[in-house]
Amino acid sequence: MSIKIGLDFGTSNSGVAIYDGRQVRLLPIDRQNVLPEVVKTVLYITRDGQFSIGQDAIAQYYRHNVNRQRRYVRKWAGEIDVIGADMHFVRDVYVMVDELKPGRLMQYLKTALRKDGFEGTQVFERFFRPGDLVQAYLSLLKRRAEELLGEPIDSVTLGRPVKFSENPARDRAAEETLRAAALQAGFRQVEFELEPIAAALDYEQTLTRPENVLIFDFGGGTLDLAVLRLTGPGGQRQVYASGGVDVAGSDFDRAIIEARLLPHFGLGSVNHQPEILEMIQAVPDWMALPELATPLNRNTLEKAIRAGLAPVRLRALQALIYNDLAFTFYNRVEAAKIALSSQGATTLSLEDSGVSFWELYTRHQFERDIARYVSQVRQVLDETLAASGLEAGQIDAVVKTGGSSNIPLFTGLLEQVFGAEKVKASNAFSSVAAGLAIRAGRRG
Amino acid sequence: MTFNDKIDEWIAEAETRPGSALMILKLIAGRLRDLTERNEELLAENIALQDGSRVETYQKRISYLEYQLELLKRRLGADDSALEALAEQEKATSLLVYNATGRILRLEAGAESAGPLGRLTGELSAAGEPPRLLALPAREEVLLLFTSGRISTLPVSSLPAAAPGESWDWEAAPVPEEPHAGEQLACLLPLARLSLADFFLQASRRGFVKKTPASLTQSILENHFLGRGTLQKADQAFDLLLGQKKDLLALVSAEGRLLGLASDNLSFSAEERLRLELTDYVIAACALRPDDVLLCLTQTGKVIQREGKMLELAKSAASRGQALISPARLEQGTRFIGAAAVRAQDRLIVLDAAGWISLHGAGEAAAAGNLHAEAVILSMGLLPARA
Repeated sequence: MSIKIGLDFGTSNSGVAIYDGRQVRLLPIDRQNVLPEVVKTVLYITRDGQFSIGQDAIAQYYRHNVNRQRRYVRKWAGEIDVIGADMHFVRDVYVMVDELKPGRLMQYLKTALRKDGFEGTQVFERFFRPGDLVQAYLSLLKRRAEELLGEPIDSVTLGRPVKFSENPARDRAAEETLRAAALQAGFRQVEFELEPIAAALDYEQTLTRPENVLIFDFGGGTLDLAVLRLTGPGGQRQVYASGGVDVAGSDFDRAIIEARLLPHFGLGSVNHQPEILEMIQAVPDWMALPELATPLNRNTLEKAIRAGLAPVRLRALQALIYNDLAFTFYNRVEAAKIALSSQGATTLSLEDSGVSFWELYTRHQFERDIARYVSQVRQVLDETLAASGLEAGQIDAVVKTGGSSNIPLFTGLLEQVFGAEKVKASNAFSSVAAGLAIRAGRRG
Repeated sequence: MTFNDKIDEWIAEAETRPGSALMILKLIAGRLRDLTERNEELLAENIALQDGSRVETYQKRISYLEYQLELLKRRLGADDSALEALAEQEKATSLLVYNATGRILRLEAGAESAGPLGRLTGELSAAGEPPRLLALPAREEVLLLFTSGRISTLPVSSLPAAAPGESWDWEAAPVPEEPHAGEQLACLLPLARLSLADFFLQASRRGFVKKTPASLTQSILENHFLGRGTLQKADQAFDLLLGQKKDLLALVSAEGRLLGLASDNLSFSAEERLRLELTDYVIAACALRPDDVLLCLTQTGKVIQREGKMLELAKSAASRGQALISPARLEQGTRFIGAAAVRAQDRLIVLDAAGWISLHGAGEAAAAGNLHAEAVILSMGLLPARA
């Protein structure tokens, strides 16, 4: 019998799980990640046509870009028609291209499926449509899962948002593109399940009477909300409303770095020149950091260090940019954030060549640092609830899932709005992937 | 934010959640213990610096390193008298004939100063690529670079030496390390001088050059990966050299373009340095010292030379290089098949299309302006007078 998997193809993170009829197993699909069951939804394409995903993609992106030369050349990109009242002419459009760029890192592959007007992108010699990018990603994910399981995988249940798009035609097209990409990636049978339903699947199995349920799916990349009417296992479901906001785990990592760690890299020590300030302010952005690793920036830093401008901190910045420490750095921040969901204090520290910092970090500090996001979450919660036409009191249960939903600040918010007795963690299955695996297993 | 502000925040956490207080205390105590230990170490270091014992330790270490350096110099021939003592061991020279499919034939080169060594039989060129030649001491180890960027190492002595005679069957030569699917053997590099090198210098067929610090050798060997050194899909790794900061790198193309580059100024990422015509490709990359002569050989045996100290260095990022073959000759089909940095006493090894491998004095060939071969010359190697 061929293996069936549940695959959560998320905007920022993805995951794969299998269900053997008794329990769900989340596959450690990215062993380099802080949470090996989660793989970042990023795809790296090298100039010679090699693909990689997850932390492997990020590692290659760093390795290829740190301290490399750039050479920008002007290239013809096309032409535009300029039409005025009494004239019409064509103008050439040129773009500056770094012709030594060794590869391209692609993010938000899922968003590309639904983006209006986005037909695809040119990556070196080849034009990739959104489906091609998704296919490349899914192929590698499938291969990794097959290596872990030691058997070929034929069938997949993929998660999909309640709405890819408000436009029904666009919504259907996005699902069809995702289906075609999965088939081209080598899956013979492709099924879909709504992501919030997958997240609440375990809860749905326990229902004995119809309930109004709010799914609070707060992951690494986005917060997705859905208000549904569930009637029980195999019963009818009605989606009253769905909503979301681009706030999640990665924003909290940024907030921690901005509030607590930038001073260790020279922010506020002295009045730095703009080039150095730009480098410091790019530290929270993991994608921007390797772009800074140019020989020119190294010279700028060396000069400032020799001039005695916060030399220890700028040396730490130099080490972070050039010594391949970024990986460790961002992972430490993420690990500290996760620790604060279950304990009151932890440390943010890194001790390596050129970098040495130690910060005691408490939940109180963390909640201060991310306070600005609470109002955004509250707003989208109120809006989704209003769109569903239900009052908070009419919601029977709030099912929370995803890593960020464990942050006590947000659990407190849900308890405040709906009452503590209604807020339920989605049992042992804390991810959409687990629910999808159960759905795949039960479909027979 | 001041340190006092941070302390206030810690207190606020302990007040909000008294359960956190113990955790905060433990973390601060752990940090205090680490800092105390480090303080002890720094104080001890300070004492050692003040009483001079640290200086003594460093002086001893410097003396030991100087001794090691002296040994190394002697081992590598910097001292002529020491060289004589080592001569017996070093006399045995192997000639490796290899091609892109990974076939490597090991021949024992004798003390002949010039003349034919013997003949290879069988199909010589695989997919238009003639075999390449490398002479090195039989006790050395070689690094195999594949076009995928993968590397492996191989002691020369592990290759079976071809039986003495006048002819050898090329197609029966062993393939000690089969290239993986889609890759080819790009080149062989002798490793004995690795400890003196500052960089690995990689050159690609389309004129891209990349430098890798020799300090990364351990990780490169552990990971079996050096990198392709190319950026274009149609391009592939061609040669790998060991270089020092003061060396010049010379690139020579089949259509007679010569480019000189200062090793120290090369980039650590692959960069196009020799801009070639579509039909042209690199046929030699050599590390050149000022007292070396760069000797280039055409397929008909014509020798063109440039002194190392007269080599013009490229000033722009990608240059077309200096033309060594006139347009008229190019039109007639003249092409370079090899080039090497030579000294007068060195010998050139030449393989011709009839399969003959012969030795020629580099000094004589340079003086005469040509060397004689039975058929069109396919490739050229160098047998240095001093290993």
